[in-house]
Order: sequence, then structure tokens, then C-alpha cells
Amino acid sequence: METSYTPKKTMNLIFAGMMLIGIVAVIAGFMSDTQRTWANILLNNYYFITLSMGALLFYSIQYITNSGWSAVIQRIPQALGGFLPVGALLMLLMYLGLPQVYEWAHEGITETDKLIAHKEPFLNVPFFMIRLIIYFILFLGAGYMLRRYALLQDKNSDLKYHERSRYFAQVYIFVGAIFFSFASKDWLMTIDSHWYSTMFGFRNMIISMYYGSAAVILLLLFLRSQGYFKEVKDAHFHDLGRYIFRFSIVWGYLWFMQFLIIWYANIPELTVYYEPRFLGEWQLVFYAELFINFAIPFVVMMSDEVGKKPRVLLGISILLLIGLWLNIYLQIMPGAYGPMKFGFVELGMWIGYAGLFLGVVFFALGNVALIPKNHPYLEESLHHHV
Amino acid sequence: MAQKNIVAKFRDELTLLKALKRLKEKKVNLIDVYGPFANHDILKLVTKESRLPYLAVLYGTIAIAATFSFIYYTAVIDYPLSYGGKPVFSFPPMVVIMFLVCILLTTILSVITFHGRTQIFPGKPNQIIDPAVTDDSFYLVLDQNFNTEEIKIWLQEDGADEITEKEI
Repeated sequence: METSYTPKKTMNLIFAGMMLIGIVAVIAGFMSDTQRTWANILLNNYYFITLSMGALLFYSIQYITNSGWSAVIQRIPQALGGFLPVGALLMLLMYLGLPQVYEWAHEGITETDKLIAHKEPFLNVPFFMIRLIIYFILFLGAGYMLRRYALLQDKNSDLKYHERSRYFAQVYIFVGAIFFSFASKDWLMTIDSHWYSTMFGFRNMIISMYYGSAAVILLLLFLRSQGYFKEVKDAHFHDLGRYIFRFSIVWGYLWFMQFLIIWYANIPELTVYYEPRFLGEWQLVFYAELFINFAIPFVVMMSDEVGKKPRVLLGISILLLIGLWLNIYLQIMPGAYGPMKFGFVELGMWIGYAGLFLGVVFFALGNVALIPKNHPYLEESLHHHV
Repeated sequence: MAQKNIVAKFRDELTLLKALKRLKEKKVNLIDVYGPFANHDILKLVTKESRLPYLAVLYGTIAIAATFSFIYYTAVIDYPLSYGGKPVFSFPPMVVIMFLVCILLTTILSVITFHGRTQIFPGKPNQIIDPAVTDDSFYLVLDQNFNTEEIKIWLQEDGADEITEKEI
């Protein structure tokens, strides 16, 4: 049983190279089109914060449901959550580019736009930044406590640390469910500041777990190919596959709920959001997103036998990471930038952020025992079968 | 179904498992295993692959197609009514109905299929292989095989407490 992860130098070099591509893309973006670059920075910030957030929610769910099967892989979602502090710093950087992305942050917009003037007590730059800081204090505080007690348990077999972990998992679920909903409303929904959807925050919070599970599966498969986690068996993959299947239904359900109500009511203030996406030039992305995030995972994962094969899980998880990008792209770009453009700026910046993300995650993974010691459910997890 | 079956009684599930493995190797026709609690290893040996999920997918597809054609016929062909400025044939509101009818029909048809296949119905008398099955004993029920005597010897060797022949 490999109990710790030893980082490889070549991998760190690859991550550094990816980050270099990202930096080049950012510079190229600022030289050519500032607005597009800021929109992309927000996109990638939100992309990787979603993955971290979803992984930590996944981790917390294992605790509050007393799940035994996942004890052996619990360090993976925890390491994925390690990106949150970096994400917080990058999100604070958005302060410099707020007027580039958000219409309500424009100088003097409150004089010409009555609706934004009405929303001004909530949508103003200082309060936006205060809220952003509060969110991250809560996320990072609860996330730190989760990590702290997991590490203490490694050193000490006292059951009380497990109880503490469970307690803070409850705290994290509470904080994540409420404040990540608010955060996604703040960061994404206010781009189209005339529009609103009451589903928006809830939907983005719930589907973060969908993509978080996909990230957990990808990292697990990668580590397995490197010779770690040999004790993860069919049954574990089966359970992870069920997560993907379940959330694919939830994704479709919430997507459709938001769409149907706006389509049915046909009120101009609400349809203004779907008009460029459903009928305009974003139509292709609109349908592609629906297929990638819902239709394909739903049909493929429907069968138990197919859904637990590592190769199928690998394909679906990679597809979902593309789907998440399309999902956020479609939520940000029409409002924040306008015309549909995909080029080196988008791709390069995503690669750069991915390099940073993976660097942080593997650093977090290398710091701790790969398989938790003294976890009360570890034995059950090692002998898990369905 | 007056057919004589071999019924072997076992003290605990481990001896039963041992006997079961041997019978599986010899390809003896097995009917059922009875016991006071479930055991995953025994379940794995005994259960056959169920084809019910494939049937459920089929039911779901049929239900969706049927609902779609029903709504299409009523709302578009037979009685086109314009309301809210929506086109007569509009897909989004159909989805909800298709989804719900799909779940309803699939559930009901699956239940009926399952009951038909396993021949269970309300009011069916309970077949108890032996009263002790609810206490502490495990039972193997075997089909009438051509080599009955040989099977009995194997069961004896593997530690069966009691071997009888019963009509079920």
C-alpha cells in the first residue's frame, strides 16, 4: 500500500510550462483586447473555484452520510480543495477589472440606467469586494478546519478527531450551499445586471458537485496509472459513476427548470438573457452544452456495467471538464464581452490556469499521507464491494 | 408443480458456501437458497443477470414516444389552439409531461413484468421450505438432477446436516 505521493520533477516542469503559456496568453490578451481578457480571467477563476468547491462538498457529503466506501480516496477531493486559497487571491485580482466585465461597475452608469440605479445599494464596487472577502473567509475557514482535523487524525487514532471532521463537514455543507449560491449570483449573474433568475445560485452550487466528482475521478485515474491507489476496485468506480449519473439528471433538471419558466412567461426582462443564446449566434454552444453536460453522460452512464469501467469514466470526466468550460463560457461571455470568439486567449489562459491548479493540487497531495491513517472506515473501504 | 427437489439443511453460511461452490463447479441445477440473513458471497454465486433494466429502458422509450405522439395529435393536429403567442407545436412544455409519464409507465410496467416473471401476485400462498429457515438454518434447494445420489454424497461430504426430498 503506497501511503504517500512523491512528486515528479518532470510533472512540475510541465505545469510550469503550462503556466508560461497562460502568462503569454494573458499578455497577448491585454495587448489585443482588454475586455475579453478580463472576462476570461473571471471565467477561469470561476472554473477552478467550482472544481475545488465541488470536490470539498463531495468530501463533506462523505462525512455527513457516514460513507464507508470512500475513506480510501478521501485525500483526493481534499487536495482538489487546496486550490481555494489561490482562487481567492485570483478572485481579489478581479478588483482591477470590474468595470471591464460588469456593466454596473461602469463609471456614471447609475445616472443613465434607472434599473441599475435602483440596484445600486447592492451592486456597488466596495460592497461587492466586501462580500467576496466574506465568502472566502467562510470557505477557507471551514475548509481549513476540515484539513486540520484530517491531518490530526493521521497522527492520533482518537475517534474524537473523526467527530470533529464530521462536525466541520456539516459546517462546510452549510457554508458552501448558502454562500456559494450567493457567490455565483454575485460573480456570474450580475454580469447581465438587468436580468435575474432565482434558480441561478442554487443551480450553480449543485452542479459544482457534478464537476467536482468528475475532477475526483480524473485525479484518481491519473494516480492509478502512476501506480498509486491499487486498492481502489470496481466497486469504488461503480459508486463514483453513480455520482456522475445522478448529477447528470440533476443538471438536466435544473437547466430545464430555469429555461422553461423563462420561455413560458416570455417576459422581456427575462428573455433578454436567452435571446442571444437560444436564438442568436451562441446557438451552437447552447445546444452543444446541453448534449455534453446532460445527454451524453446520462445515456452512457445509465447502464451499471458500462458506467463503472475506468475507461468510460475517463472519457465522460474529460467531456465534463469541457462541458464545464462551455457552461461558464455561455454564462459569462454574451453579457461580459458580446461576440462569440474562441482563440489563443481562451485556450492559452485555460491551459495556464490548469497548470497552476494542478501544481497546487499535487503540492497539496504530496504534503499528506495519500491514504488516511486511523480513519475508522478505512477497513470497510478497502473491502468495499457491491 | 409436483416435482421432487433435494433440500439440504446447513448449520451456517460458510459450510453452505463451500457446498455451493462445489455444486457450481459440477454445474448442478440450482433452484434457490434460503437463509435468515443475506450474504453477499452467496448472492454473487446464485444471482443470474437480470434483464429487467433493458426492458425498463424499452418501456421508457415507448412511453416517451407514445406521450409525444398523443400531445402532438391533440395539440397540433386535432385541436390547434393558439395561446400566449406560442407556436402551436412547441417542444419545451411537452418535455415535462413526457418526463413524468415516462417515469410512471416505466415503474408500473416494470413492477408488472417483475411480478409476472417471478410469478408473485397478491394473495399467493407463502411457500415455506421449512419453519427453521426464519431461525438459524440455511437451506439449499436443488432441481431434480439425473445424478441425485451423487449430489447427496457431495452434500454430505461438505457438511450438510440433513438432506431430504420435498415436493414444491
